[in-house]
Amino acid sequence: MATPITIVDDSAMSRKLMIRALPPEWDIEITQAANGKEALDAYHAGKADVMFLDLTMPVMDGYEVLETLKKEGLNTFVIVVSADIQPKAQERVMSLGAMAFIKKPVNTDEVSRILKEFGII
Amino acid sequence: MLSKLDAAPLLEFILDRVNIGVFVLNRNMEVVLWNHFMETNSQRPSQDVVGKNLFELFPELPKQWLERKIQSVFVLKNFAFTSWEQRPYLFRFQHNRPVTGGVDSMRQNCTFLPVKSSSGDVEFVCVTLIDVTDTSIYQSMMQDALNKLNEASNRDGLTGIYNRRFLESELNKEFCRVKRYDGSLSFILLDLDHFKNINDEKGHLAGDEILRRTSEVLSSCIRESDSLGRYGGEEFAVICPQTKLKGAMILAERLRQSVENGNFSFHNERVPLTISVGVAELYPDTPTYERLIHEADTALYQSKEAGRNRVTAFERPA
Amino acid sequence: MSLTPLTEDQRDALQEVLNIAMGQAGDSLARILDAFVELSVPRIRVVDVSHVADTVREMVGDRHEVTAVRQSFFDDLRGEALVIFGANGCKDLADLMGYAEELDQQSERELLLDVANVLVGAILNGITETLGTELSYSAPSIMAEKAQVETLINLDQLSWSHALLLEVNYSLENRDFKSHLLLLMAEEAIDALRGAIDQFMESI
Repeated sequence: MATPITIVDDSAMSRKLMIRALPPEWDIEITQAANGKEALDAYHAGKADVMFLDLTMPVMDGYEVLETLKKEGLNTFVIVVSADIQPKAQERVMSLGAMAFIKKPVNTDEVSRILKEFGII
Repeated sequence: MLSKLDAAPLLEFILDRVNIGVFVLNRNMEVVLWNHFMETNSQRPSQDVVGKNLFELFPELPKQWLERKIQSVFVLKNFAFTSWEQRPYLFRFQHNRPVTGGVDSMRQNCTFLPVKSSSGDVEFVCVTLIDVTDTSIYQSMMQDALNKLNEASNRDGLTGIYNRRFLESELNKEFCRVKRYDGSLSFILLDLDHFKNINDEKGHLAGDEILRRTSEVLSSCIRESDSLGRYGGEEFAVICPQTKLKGAMILAERLRQSVENGNFSFHNERVPLTISVGVAELYPDTPTYERLIHEADTALYQSKEAGRNRVTAFERPA
Repeated sequence: MSLTPLTEDQRDALQEVLNIAMGQAGDSLARILDAFVELSVPRIRVVDVSHVADTVREMVGDRHEVTAVRQSFFDDLRGEALVIFGANGCKDLADLMGYAEELDQQSERELLLDVANVLVGAILNGITETLGTELSYSAPSIMAEKAQVETLINLDQLSWSHALLLEVNYSLENRDFKSHLLLLMAEEAIDALRGAIDQFMESI
């Protein structure tokens, strides 16, 4: 069965870049979300076994999504995708419950490596 | 247009002979290229330099700083710069103005360019060094001229003391300072008595001479922190920072006595001279610096009315 | 405003390119200062010449006095970068970089120029790497020290009618340090930028 994944980013181009960087052999069903609120909706609808999450977004940002998921008992695999590449920013999201961190601009090899590392593909 | 093949020797020639220092360093700070300009000015031929560590070759270079600068180009893949205004030179070279220079060594502007490999990593840092000694000399000449111009525009042409424009701007500054940080401020305005008579009876040259002499006498009385200026025709003013009315009255009285005892003369003929003085102090409710001037002027008018040759303090309405 | 220099897609793309570039520049700054840099969302605006001074003041905020560094960039894109610090920008930076002793004025300026150069270079490198363009830089220079924000841009000297204004802010966690980086590109440069964005969007 296809894995439901959600790509969360306010930029349409950024979502497109992310989709393009996903390994082609991975059997998935993609949902797109433009902010944190839409991401949580997707999660509650069971469409986000894996979530690629941007941090800076209007309405509800990535940090708030992580906090909410943590409060509700995290049950999705969150990979933060961010342009803020400072080591401390990575530590911060990891401590909030993210499983992995991918820096922008995303590249296919990096995405594959992480998905393999966690046995997702 | 030259093809690439033909251009190579030409480019090499230009790089070597252009009147700009060019050298290239690898990650180990070893010199990989050293052009003619660098050879001539450092008096080190290329073959003695290439392959060797820059800091071993030139121990006088500011190693810690320069290494950090060059490393930043490798790490951040970014241009870097130095300007003679902050750091007069990188290498202590002689300049080409041994006679007219007035500076001790060549002033230099440097640019550090990242040289990237096909993989995008910075392989080398290319440094260009431009002789800006001429620019630096012109700039300091210009700065001197600007300073003089600035100074001149603050001075009264006849007496050489400050002019009204400068006095008002100083007074405004002091006014703002007191408003912000507290403190005191007084202002003295004075006028030569019967000056019109001197002009009429002895001529304008005599009048001018008296104005010059008066400004000398007044200058010798004021304190370091006071500013004396010519406020108008025969009117003078003194700004007294950090001074209350009482202190300003003492100074004003000293000014009055000095002029009265000043032994003024023109063409060996004695010219008796007195002044009338008005003094005002800034109070917390004084709304503007102009008001302070107005109050001193009011007091000056009272001195005139009361028979001249006297000092009056502005009296605040109860 | 009569001019719409960027379509929504182009704007979205530029915003993302700028996000990535800002992240890289922030990382460079964090490494130099050894502190965590707080990033805000970059802003993109098209301003006409009569509003540029107001816009800059609005972006920088109503600070009394600022110190500013400017730097030109040219080649595929052409424009000017302004880095605006608080009036005590030099002192703040010297503190952060652990200069224990009082710096003389020239050393302070050198420090300010270096940091501005790193910020401008990092953000523009980020943009050019994504867009596949080439850039060169002139040396940075101090534009104003302890000056009023509104005196930074002299309207009489401007020869363009519209400009693209990209704004990135950096502040430091637990520190009273803020800097604003503005990239200003006039009409012809906007065309070049638009071309580069289109090419980039086609390639993905």
